[in-house]
Amino acid sequence: MINLNERFTEKKNFFNRLLIIYVFFGFLFFLFLYRTFALQVSSYADYELASIKNKTKEILIQPRRGIIYDRNGEIIVNNVPSYNLITRPSEIENIESHIEEIKAFIDISDDDVLHAKENYKRSAKLNRELTLKNNLTLEEIAKFEVRRHKFPTTFIDERYSRFTPYPELFSHSVGYVGNLDEDNLIQILAEQNLKPKETIFVYSNGYIKGMTGLENIYDKTLRGVYGKKLYEVDASGKLLNEIEITPSINGKDLYTSLDIESQKVAFEQLNKRRGAVVAVDIDTGAIVTYLSSPSFPLNRIANGMSSKDFNKILNDGNKPFFDRAGQGRYSPASTIKPAIGLYGIENEIIDWDFTINDPGFFVLPEDNRVYRGWKKGGHGEINLKEAIIESSNTFFFSLAYESDIEELIDHLSYFGFGRNVCLDCFLPDKGLLPNPEWKMNTLNFGWFKGDTVNLGVGQGYLSATPLQLAYYSAFLAKKGELSKFSFVQEDIDAPLNTFVSKNINDYDWEKIHESMIGVIDNPKGTAGRLRDLKDFTVAAKSGTVELVSTETKEDYKIIRETEGKRDHAIIIAFGPMPNPKYAVSVVIENGESGGSVAGPVAIEILNSLLKNE
Amino acid sequence: MNKIFKIFRKKIYFDQYLFISIATLSIMGLLFLYSASQENLETVIKQSFFVIFGLFLMFLLSQLDPDFYKNNASIFFLISIFLILITLLYGKEVNGAKRWLDLGFFTLQSSEIVKIALPVFLAAYLYDKPLPISLLHTFLTLVIILIIVNLVRIQPDLGTSLVILLAGLYILFLAGLSWKFIGISFSIFILSLPFIWNNFLEPFQRQRVLTLLDPNADPYGSGWNITQSKIAIGSGGIQGKGYGEGTQAHLDFLPETETDFIFSVVAEEFGFIGVCVLLITFFFIMLRCLYLALNARDRFCRLTIGGLSLLFISTVFINLAMVVGIIPVVGMPLPFVSKGGSSLLSFYIAFGIIISMATHKKLMQK
Repeated sequence: MINLNERFTEKKNFFNRLLIIYVFFGFLFFLFLYRTFALQVSSYADYELASIKNKTKEILIQPRRGIIYDRNGEIIVNNVPSYNLITRPSEIENIESHIEEIKAFIDISDDDVLHAKENYKRSAKLNRELTLKNNLTLEEIAKFEVRRHKFPTTFIDERYSRFTPYPELFSHSVGYVGNLDEDNLIQILAEQNLKPKETIFVYSNGYIKGMTGLENIYDKTLRGVYGKKLYEVDASGKLLNEIEITPSINGKDLYTSLDIESQKVAFEQLNKRRGAVVAVDIDTGAIVTYLSSPSFPLNRIANGMSSKDFNKILNDGNKPFFDRAGQGRYSPASTIKPAIGLYGIENEIIDWDFTINDPGFFVLPEDNRVYRGWKKGGHGEINLKEAIIESSNTFFFSLAYESDIEELIDHLSYFGFGRNVCLDCFLPDKGLLPNPEWKMNTLNFGWFKGDTVNLGVGQGYLSATPLQLAYYSAFLAKKGELSKFSFVQEDIDAPLNTFVSKNINDYDWEKIHESMIGVIDNPKGTAGRLRDLKDFTVAAKSGTVELVSTETKEDYKIIRETEGKRDHAIIIAFGPMPNPKYAVSVVIENGESGGSVAGPVAIEILNSLLKNE
Repeated sequence: MNKIFKIFRKKIYFDQYLFISIATLSIMGLLFLYSASQENLETVIKQSFFVIFGLFLMFLLSQLDPDFYKNNASIFFLISIFLILITLLYGKEVNGAKRWLDLGFFTLQSSEIVKIALPVFLAAYLYDKPLPISLLHTFLTLVIILIIVNLVRIQPDLGTSLVILLAGLYILFLAGLSWKFIGISFSIFILSLPFIWNNFLEPFQRQRVLTLLDPNADPYGSGWNITQSKIAIGSGGIQGKGYGEGTQAHLDFLPETETDFIFSVVAEEFGFIGVCVLLITFFFIMLRCLYLALNARDRFCRLTIGGLSLLFISTVFINLAMVVGIIPVVGMPLPFVSKGGSSLLSFYIAFGIIISMATHKKLMQK
């Protein structure tokens, strides 16, 4: 027991000690108040934002791609709905038995079943939809609809696919869409200040992007703008309710200058032979026909096909994926002759009255090498016009012999050789306009005079794409003043390419046109067979590309036993004369005769284009 | 009528300040709990039952004379130790922790009983010891405290064992522990911190401490709770988002909204104003206890009121410090507000004892 005095000390001692602790807690109390004040008042904005960011989730809405039209407003590529079987997993207890029940009347592939099972739990937890099957047939839709009351959690919904009614006509010009990879998606969304997120898809295929052709070149225009939906979510990411919606903006439609009718004609005319057709409106440089043959099924490539079918196309010896029109390189052969003739006039080497005697061959003075023409015994006394009509090689061999190679190359480049002539073509090839420097660098050989001589008849190293040949044709038709080519003229101010010359005037252009008309209409013309296929006048120049050099016709007969060694058939043409509207180029691989094989195709194209004006 | 009331007042032992503020706190708690439990009426009804029962129990316990507690302190203490041991052997295991005794109608958290019994026992043990407390008594007291703390810690229940440790130390300190001893042992404690860190803390407990130092380093792991709690509190602003409108609480971003993090719900929905109202109520109870302790009739009552009120205040501050991220998450309810059975009742019991100690005066003094 403690006494009174001690009790007093004890009480005082207790007071002091309790006060110490209370002061400590009082201090804590204010510290705590300050801390809460800091969170709730000073940093309020930050935390409010964090809380909003926590409870909301942005989901992207895919825009619909623009429609692609031809020059008459006919649809080339459209978005067509397909019907998908979709389910709401959050309302299903057992996905496997659910699928089994549906499988009783709709065939669901093992892949689809696996996909559904793998994604079921996640989709259910997050309140998302799950696709059971894409592209239902009408029969399957009907089968489901009659049983629909049994499946309140499952429904059929519309998703789009990219579809063309002309599956093989525009495979290389319009091209196809394919799936985006992650990097592409990040880049596309970054243009809109968005980040990759969950997306509400409009297309069955998910994210799509133009892979080739116009779909690729005009991808940004066609694509549209992604919209977004803002959802309230809980901590597990489950969607609760929609807060805000920014609708997607559909892509702009694309109005091209392509012409479905002439494209059909080109397709029928080539009839799956290897080759290409390009036709343009010479006043605008608008490409109206663009066909590479053989073609491939555009819809199936864009919307999925089995890898077996895909490999079949990929490994096809005729290379259907290869765009011969824009990327195939062919020697222009005799079609180059009008341009060489113009070179002679420009540089005053010859005039329209100048003649030579064509014995059927040309001997190169330097090494006595013989360069032959196509006609045994030659064309006799001959001037430029006749040389073009009859396609005399000797005339142009000797003209080329007289020329300066550098000047000749400059001259040819005006006609589109070795240049990109198109504003919106997909990966156009520039062909090859050879020069001494190129030869030294690539082949490690100096330039021979014989190379220049060969250039005079469009053989040797010179090569051009059908697109460039069409440009060349149009350049001749427009007398040296031509817009760059394009598929879409809207918003494009096509630059005008003008031929700069000292000596060539309208008279010379008229004479060239006259000569090229003669190719068909003159009794001695190399494409005389085309005379009766048309009721208007056409200027043309045919060519036959030798793949293997032969001395005699007998030699060629042996060569032609192998189809791949046969000559290519080429023609350039424009009409109707005297006021041409369209220029066209046709190449048919191993077609042998420019005039009689490629020629009719060119005429039919012009027929179709003029008829459908 | 007035006369009857006055007579009644003289016959009963009652502190209206504590009673009203605790009742207010309990009713506010029910209101908060309704929102924090996602409008779960069942939870609120169950809690209301505990509140009513608790208030009744508090009133009942305050009628008993302090001598009753003093004389029976060791019996209560032994019973509570027995319950702890039973729990360790036969307790219900939840999430790897054996803290509950299933009594059929009620799951008892035995550490909540010993939490009250220990300070009362220590007060009864130390009230007649001369000043300063001798080394022997100091050691005996410390041994008792450490045994109890460890029995609770191995359940494991770090939060409650921490509070029990504090409660024991408060009594020892208030009873007159020598300053020399405090100075020496404090130095030893600081020096042995690394040892405690390595040997006495479970890996998840260490993780909690580390998380506290930089919660942003791991926002979706261990730091998630603290981060979300801070977002909830911060986004409440001055006025709050409105009752039942707290998105952090209602969209499951906040963990343990009904228990540990109920304060975050209050802060989110009622803002700084709500926080102040709640804190002032707690502060008022704290000050009232100080007043009562200073005016208690003897040393035993002083020690008991001091110990139990500091136990209460410590619990409040540990909870608050936890939800704003000052200390690690230890699992500590907010007294009278958080959902709970044993933990809730234990504070009604504590205040019942406090009121008994404060209101029973010696005849001599009357």
